[in-house]
Amino acid sequence: MRYTMSSSRVVLIRSRGIQPGLGKLDTAAIHSMFDRGFKLLTGQSNAQQAVFSIFRPGERIGIKINTLSGKEASTRPELATGLAEWLVQGGLKPENIIIWDRMNRELRDAGYRLRTGRDGIRIFGTDSDGIGHDPELIGHLNIGSLFSSILKNMVDASISLAILKDHCIAGVTAGMKNYYGAVHNPNKYHDTGCNPYIAELFDSPPVRSKHRLSVIDSLIVQYHRGPAYNPRWSEKFDGLIFSLDAVAADRVGWKIIEKLRSAAGLPSLRDEGREPAYLHTAEKMGLGNASDSKIELIEETV
Amino acid sequence: MKRRLFLKNAAGTGLVIGTRLPEFCSDLALAGPPPKLSHVEARYYRKLPDREIICDLCPRKCRLGDKERGYCGVRENIGGTYYTLVYGRPCSVNLDPIEKKPFFHFLPGTTTLSVATAGCNLNCKFCQNWEISQFRPEQVENFDLPPEQVAVQAEKNRCSAVAYTYTEPIIFFEYMYDSALEVRKKKIRNLVVTAGYVNQDPLNDLLEVVDAVKVDLKAFSEDFYKEYVRGELKPVLETIKTVAKSRAWLEIVYLVIPTLNDKPEEIRQTARWVKNEVGDHVPVHFSRFQPMYLLKNLPPTPVSTLELAREIALEEGLKFVYVGNVPGHEGENTFCPACGRKIIGRFGYRIENMDIVEGKCRYCGHPVPGVWS
Repeated sequence: MRYTMSSSRVVLIRSRGIQPGLGKLDTAAIHSMFDRGFKLLTGQSNAQQAVFSIFRPGERIGIKINTLSGKEASTRPELATGLAEWLVQGGLKPENIIIWDRMNRELRDAGYRLRTGRDGIRIFGTDSDGIGHDPELIGHLNIGSLFSSILKNMVDASISLAILKDHCIAGVTAGMKNYYGAVHNPNKYHDTGCNPYIAELFDSPPVRSKHRLSVIDSLIVQYHRGPAYNPRWSEKFDGLIFSLDAVAADRVGWKIIEKLRSAAGLPSLRDEGREPAYLHTAEKMGLGNASDSKIELIEETV
Repeated sequence: MKRRLFLKNAAGTGLVIGTRLPEFCSDLALAGPPPKLSHVEARYYRKLPDREIICDLCPRKCRLGDKERGYCGVRENIGGTYYTLVYGRPCSVNLDPIEKKPFFHFLPGTTTLSVATAGCNLNCKFCQNWEISQFRPEQVENFDLPPEQVAVQAEKNRCSAVAYTYTEPIIFFEYMYDSALEVRKKKIRNLVVTAGYVNQDPLNDLLEVVDAVKVDLKAFSEDFYKEYVRGELKPVLETIKTVAKSRAWLEIVYLVIPTLNDKPEEIRQTARWVKNEVGDHVPVHFSRFQPMYLLKNLPPTPVSTLELAREIALEEGLKFVYVGNVPGHEGENTFCPACGRKIIGRFGYRIENMDIVEGKCRYCGHPVPGVWS
């Protein structure tokens, strides 16, 4: 999808009741957040219409999560399965949904239980037996990579369900950088503040042709000293960000991080020389809108 | 798990398998499960608050949070301590003629034990070994070969030297350094084949334990380094100067890539710089590019371009200029700078005649720089 003049809708749903206790999520609250978020995003009045305004019947959906940082700073398992179940409720087939990341070990460390059977929603990593990276080297702009067979061959559409965090190099890691976990050589994409590499990877055919939706886990936000978990700079935010525009979703995530940093008396990312410049690059490349004037932000608490 | 089963499983996961299996030494074959990554603390890094680190091994100076890896893909911050994941875990172990490195003035006609791990701190778009250099160690097949075994294998196979090569040995610095110490104990030499993108402190330490260094000078322009190498020229030139000042023997390779770094003026600048900064005695190899990795759209270098490069460098006063990757070419041979006679005849990696005696031309007695015994 290429963006030009039109504005992009971003929905921020917050739920004060979603985290009733330490490390626990209320499943009913999760469901309400997805329900409200999808309806506001799509303008549809019921779940089925909302789902099929984004996906086609019979499509295979990959939910790319980020499990690099253990239980404390990875996409929460309840959210990933909650999203998958909501999509099923909306009419998608459970066997057509894969929740995935790069490594089974990281998935387990983040609290996921692997599921590889033929029935139901599946959860596994690219390094699973028989999966791996597709052997075709895809050179796109500055870097060449092999892409996860899950993204390249096993799904028709992709949801980036990342976790919002400060990132010591990129400034922000959210929905776009999440696709670093889809290539065999993410270390090669970290030069110069990950710019232009986050945008270029998102622009690569395997990502661009399949990315359909960003949902960003902002329940607990690591707003400083990320991407690893640092409790001193970690804040309960109780939010989920939804957008069909990955750039706009990340931009809203960036603003949340700046707000939390400011409240904690920290300098802005720009002042620290870590402004997420990849968003400006992405906008220039036509991948989405990073300018606030082109973002229609709808906020609601459920 | 038997090796065959490992390979089958690895193939199933789409992992890239190192193809350079050490068939010459059966005791290296994988007999059990593939070795895990090493967790040996890295050298040349600084600890920062909140479990962050800065790597001081190469000019990239990666600043990494917990659980992150450097650009090289083989060094990881785990809880604020930086580890090398490839210590004693080469993915490629091979016997090569020393001419293949290439070293032309260092023990010609001898065999080296070549060792490499996965990973690289650059990302050259024309990399010949990208299937190991641009992968993480867990994505290739590795062997369990600790430093003392490197020395044992070199001795067993009657190698004149161990060459740390194929990928970028700087990124497995600790393994290379400790292996070099073991290798020296057996009176065997150590060679480094590098792109030279390394900081001065580790380089100086390395030069204490190695005998020869071949530096790939990939172009003579910062723009080229930025766009096609993902590095910088300046630190590479510093590396060349530092090696030249050390006791280690130095040779330079310049891979000539059509339209990108083949302009006569750039070749001339390179030759002048070599002559002025490190000396006219340093061998320079102009090697032929073959379409590879992300530069498949360019043709192989015309032989005439290599010949012109050689001619320019000789005009500028360099004494030992070679044409590389063109087997049988006249420019593979070594000629005495005094009498002009052919003193080492080569065909590809094979030595056809050797007319250097005790470091001097057999015909006129002129000294020929190099390490000949």
